[in-house]
Parts: sequence; structure tokens; C-alpha cells
Amino acid sequence: MRRLTLTTLMASLTLWTATTSGQPAPASTPPLTAQQPRATPQPHEPSTYSADDLYNLANSYARAGKPGLAVLNYERAALLAPNDPDIRANLDYVRTTAQVPTDPPTRFTRFAQAANPTAAAWLGVIGLALLGTSLLASKATQRFRALWATSALLGTFQIALAISNALLLRPRMHEAVVLINQTPARVSPVLMGDTAFILREAETVTMTAQHEDFVLIRTHAGRTGWVSRANVAAVIP
Amino acid sequence: MRIQLMHWRKWLVIFLSLIAPIGYVDAAADLSLAYETIEPPSIRLGESAIIRITSLDGYLDDVPLPRVTGLKFDVVARQQGFEFVSGKPIPSSYVLIRVTPEFTGVFTIPGLTPKSRTLGLEVVAAETSNPLAWRSYKTTPPPPPPKATASLPKGAELKAGGAAFVRLVMPTRPIYVGESVPVDIEVGLRPGIVTSLNGLPTLTGGDFTLNNLSRQPERRDEVYGGNPFLLMTWHSVLAAVKPGDFSLSVEAPMSVKINTLSSEDISIAAKMGAPFLQSLYNAIKPKELTVNSPTLDLKVLPLPTEGRPKDFSGAVGNFQASSDITPAHPAAGDPLTYRLHISGTGNFDRVDSPMLSELDRWKTYPPKSSFTRSDAVGYKGEKLFEQPLITAQTGEQTIPGLGFSYFNPNTRRYERAQTQPIKVAIGASLADSSTGSLADAATLRRGLRPDHPASSDSVSNLTPLYFQPLFLTVPATLALLLAGSWFLVHPSPERVNSKALARTLAELSAAARSGDSASFFELARATLLHTFATRWRLPPDQITTEEFRARLGPIAGDFERLWALADEAKYSKDLPGTTDFQHWLALIRAHAAGEKQ
Repeated sequence: MRRLTLTTLMASLTLWTATTSGQPAPASTPPLTAQQPRATPQPHEPSTYSADDLYNLANSYARAGKPGLAVLNYERAALLAPNDPDIRANLDYVRTTAQVPTDPPTRFTRFAQAANPTAAAWLGVIGLALLGTSLLASKATQRFRALWATSALLGTFQIALAISNALLLRPRMHEAVVLINQTPARVSPVLMGDTAFILREAETVTMTAQHEDFVLIRTHAGRTGWVSRANVAAVIP
Repeated sequence: MRIQLMHWRKWLVIFLSLIAPIGYVDAAADLSLAYETIEPPSIRLGESAIIRITSLDGYLDDVPLPRVTGLKFDVVARQQGFEFVSGKPIPSSYVLIRVTPEFTGVFTIPGLTPKSRTLGLEVVAAETSNPLAWRSYKTTPPPPPPKATASLPKGAELKAGGAAFVRLVMPTRPIYVGESVPVDIEVGLRPGIVTSLNGLPTLTGGDFTLNNLSRQPERRDEVYGGNPFLLMTWHSVLAAVKPGDFSLSVEAPMSVKINTLSSEDISIAAKMGAPFLQSLYNAIKPKELTVNSPTLDLKVLPLPTEGRPKDFSGAVGNFQASSDITPAHPAAGDPLTYRLHISGTGNFDRVDSPMLSELDRWKTYPPKSSFTRSDAVGYKGEKLFEQPLITAQTGEQTIPGLGFSYFNPNTRRYERAQTQPIKVAIGASLADSSTGSLADAATLRRGLRPDHPASSDSVSNLTPLYFQPLFLTVPATLALLLAGSWFLVHPSPERVNSKALARTLAELSAAARSGDSASFFELARATLLHTFATRWRLPPDQITTEEFRARLGPIAGDFERLWALADEAKYSKDLPGTTDFQHWLALIRAHAAGEKQ
């Protein structure tokens, strides 16, 4: 019985170790400096992502006067390092400069983003293992009841943190940043469609549907319109 | 002498009797030898029509203006001239009265001379097309001065007593089926004799199509053979629908004033002079007739099948093709408009192009076409095909040229107009169209925090692990393993006994509360036997009184008493007196607790 419990724990830990160590090593993002921004600042889709590289890339775009691309890369960097103060500060600064409204984070947001998504995900897995093991141990033996209860509580907390983090990240799966200033949001997904409203560069919108070369977006204010796919870039490509 | 006087008086009476009717006729001449017309009979509100009163004896005096509600009359001119009746000039006078309507409707204007008939005038709204108003005095420019006397145009024949002619002018060469051929239709009218044209000229025969004729033809005054003519010309395009040899003519309906007298009577009346002109003009009656043009022979050839391109759409003519693209320096993602211009002469209604249906790395949209004519009939012009294109690929790209096949009737073979490929440099849309601009760049640069040193921590996918299927297999597998383990792991015996004891104590308490001593003692004895059997590792039926005394010592008496009460309660079903259930419960709980530990 104990052997089985230990086997389960070992299996999950081995899997976690294998997954984390299997990640590709150094980012292939080209080093960008403030003095040498990219010659063609297209939406950059590298094979690997690093929070620092994305942050530096965003800084380059910001210095080149391209707030849309800067915000896009800051957002991506914030996904990997949500607690990095530099990323948050520069993101807010660029948005403010571009006159794009920002929503202050709520307490729940701050709590849920305490850990970066990858860490929170694995924390949730460990929490699940902890909770399950504690329950199994308490069933198998009457000893160390306090220990098992504490472990189960800790595991439950970790699972709750991971679920909160996932729930918070779920809307961001469909978030996009407007890359072109004065982007028209049309009433229909055709080039000749009437313009419903105009989007600012660096504005963050939510993609809700797509049709050929157009995506249906919803702004923070709740307005919806069709935007050319080339004018926006998804935060999570 | 008296006889001579009588003779002289007789001749005087005869002379006076002859003169008297002539004087009456002369007195009434200004009333009976006048007629009036209104032109045009239908006008738009805001325009004016002209009533023309013609007096054929030159004695037209002042004409009283009529009173018609909604119409305003003004005398605009008095003229002197000649009217030609059967080729003979007759001095005439004219009064021109302008009629201006104040509202729409159909008006009846009473005759302005005693024997003239009433006139009708239709007034329509200003924005309404007025098919009958083919002359507007407000908008028509002043007519050019009449040309010098000339002979009739070639191929024209005077009809309706020399009052009109119709002529069809078109190429004499063979034409091809579907080919658009520009034609001119000329209608010459003698003013004053031809009172109205009652419709547009039409082709005879149904083997040809003729573009809709304009209701505003070219108009000019000509003099043919010394006679003034109003020459109206329609420019149109004719096309044959099938091959063969055809005879073609045009006809035009009109109203013509015809003198019903014979030529001899007209000649006598003309010789008799003014007193007899009354009978001459009383015989002039309007008549509706159709005037035909001379017949033309036309050969229509079929389009050759040899060498016909697969993309031939039926265009016959002479065309040139060119293409362009706008904007000249587009950015990736920007819509471009690719235009194909096909200009020249021919049947543009058959000019068609599929444009670019598929183009690598480009998104193509359905094209639209429009035609801009360079002449009045649409024979010359330019057809424009516009197709939106979008690409996300940056760099220099080449849009291939387009071809267009047509049949050239001049060279009598199929030809192809080809456009040149267009190279277009697609710029980086994001770089070019950022708001940012360099002005904002300085602002952005000032408040940024510095760069981070490059790190080696990286991930291959920005999608959070929660939403990666591969990762989700980890917690799913773990949950399955834990669930399976839950069923596989046996609970510890202490845990099981503890739960069983708790259940037994609950049942004993229930029996005690209800005063069921038989059940209470029976359950208590069974519980204690099971407890001691487990503790001493003996079967329950081998635990005897001696065993109790040997293992428990002095407290064995309590158990012997409990055993006795259980037997008594079992057989009597009840115990007399008060039973101390709490004492026995405490005893059982104390030994059960001892067992747990």
C-alpha cells in the first residue's frame, strides 16, 4: 500500500522533471538593442520565447515609436513573468503614452498572478498529488493524522491557485493588440463594409470570431466590429 | 344717250356684284386663312411652348390672347415670310406666342382664330422624363444659321410629296455576327409641311439589333434644293444576330400636311390669285404616314471557328489592354486595387475578363467592371475591371499580366491584347503605418525602464500550460492513478474496528434510550465478546467464565453480572426494576477504548 503511494508520487515527480528539463534551451530571439531596432518590425514569431527577450524587443519597438508592437511584446513578456515590475511599468507607460485605456488589476488578479502560469500549473499538479497522497495515507493508516490533514490543505490551496490562474488566463487566450493606428472596425467582414468605429494603436481587444481575412473583435467598452486580420496580432500566437 | 347710260349702269351693277363677294372674302381672309400649331405639345414645368399662328395671306392682325387657368400667354414675335405650298411660295405672316405653365396638367387652349381647332398642351413635373418634349425652347441653344443650298445627301430620296426623307448611313463592307457597327439615321423634314414626327425611327426586319435611339437627336437646319429642311440625326450602333445577306432600311412615322386638290386644281387656283386661295388652303389636310429610307444590302459573315481562342468571350472590334495597381507602394495587409483597362472600339458588352482567380501568396476578391463611353452610342470607350487584392507578404512581388482575346474585323482574325506583369513592392505595414511616428518615439523613449540582460530561460510556446493538451494529460493521469489507488488501498484494521465500535455504541445508546434491555444486553455481550476475542486472539465461543477470571482478575465480576443479565433479559424479554444502562455503557466504552489503544 505504501509502496503504491510512493510509486504514484515518484511517477508524477519524474514526469514533471522530464517535462521541465525537456524545454529547449536558449531563446533564439535575435538580440535587439535600443540602437538597433529590427529593420522590418513585423510581428515577430520566434521559435522560443523568453520574458527578457520579449521585454527587450518591446522596448525596442517603443523606442522606435511603435506602441502597438511594443504593447504586444510586453503582454507576451508579462505572460511569462507576470510579477516583473519593469514589464508592468513599461506596459503601463506605453499604454498611457498611446492614450489607450488600461484597467487597474483587481485583488483577485493580483492573487492569481502571483505565480507565473507555468509555475502555477505545475504547482497545481503538485497540489493534486499532495492532496491525493494525503487522502490515501489517511485511509491507509491512522497515524500522523495532522500531517495528512496539513498536506491535504496545502494541496487544496495549490489547486485553487492554479485554477484561479487558469481562469484568469483563459480570456487572454483570445486577446489581441491593435497594431495599426486608426484601424477601422467594420460592420461586416468585407473591405467595403461601413466603418462602425475606429481603434487606436496598442489597444487591446478580444477576438470572438473570424471570417476569412477578418476577425470579429470586442473592445473593453463592449463594442464589436470586424477588423482586418493584418491589423491586429494575438497576444498568444 | 339714255340707252348708253343704262348700258353703263348695267355694267356698273355687274361689276359691283362681282366685287362684293371678293370684298367679303378679303375681309374674312385674316380669319379663315390662318392656322396655328403648338410646339412642343408636351413640356416640363418651368419650360415654355410656342404657339405659332400662320396667316397665308399676309393680313394677320392683332390676335386676342386666350385665357386658360394655369397658363400664361405672351406675344414674343411677329414675323413675315413665305410658306411653300406644293412648291409655290405664298407670302405669310406669323405670330409667335409663348405659353408658360404655372402647374402640371393637360391644358386645352381654344383656337385663336375662328376656324382653327383647339390645341392641347401637356405639362409634366420638372423631374419627369418627357418623351414627347423633343424640343425645349428654354434649353435648346439657338439654331445655327441655315447652310447654303445643297443637293440631297447621297442615298436620300424625298418622300411624302417632297416633305421628308429618311436615310440610313452605315459601312458598306461585310460585317460579322455580333460586331457593333456605328450607324447614322437621318430624317429630313420640311417645317410647316411635316407637322410632327410621331415616333423614333425603327429598323425594318428583326435580324439586327439597334441600340436605343436618343430622344434628343442632333438637329440642324439645312437647305436642299432651295427648300429648308430640319435635319435630325440619330447616332446608334447596329449588330447582326445571324449571318446571311440582308436588306436593311429605316422607317419613321410622321404627320404631313397634304393638299387634297389635284395638281390641276392647284395650278388653276394659283393662277386665279388671292380670292381663290381660300379653296386652295381649305384642301390642306394633315395625314399620318411612314417614310422609309432606301434599302441597303448588307452581308453578315459568321465569326471564323479556326483559331478561336478558348477565352474568347465574343468581343469583336479593335481593343487595347493595359493594367495598373494602386496604391503604388502598398503595405502588407493593405487592400490593393488591380485594374485592367480595355479600350478601343467594338461591342463592349461582350468584353469580359475573369481577372486573377488565384494568385500565390495573394488573396483575391471578385472583380467588378464598369464601362465609360467615349462617344454617344458606346461604340468607343473603355471597360474597366477592378479587383481587390491583399497580401501579407512583404517585399517585391510580381503580379502576372492578363490577356484578352477578341476578333478584329479589320484584320479578320483573332487577336490578343496582353498586359505586362506589374512589380509591386509590399512594404512593412506595421512600420509604415504606426501612429507612432518619430515624434512619439521620443516621448516613448524617455519614460521606459532599461533593457534586461538576456536570459536563457525560454519556452517554446506562449500558450499557458493549462491549455496545452500534452500538459493536461499529466494531472489527468495523476487523478486517475489516485482514484485507482483509493480503491486499491485497504483501510487499516484499527480504523475499521474504530468505526464498528462507534456504530455499536450508537446502537447501544439507542437501545438504552428506548429501555430495550433485551437488545441492549444482548448487543453489549456480543460486543464485549468480539472485543476480547480480538484482543486475546481467541474465537468468541472459546471465551469462558474461567478465562475471564484468569485474564481480567477482580473486574471479571462485572462481566459475569452482565452475562447473567443478558441471559435473564433474553428469556424474560424484559428486566424488572430500573436498569443502570449508563453504568454498562461506561464499562463497554472503557474496554472498547482500551482495545483501540
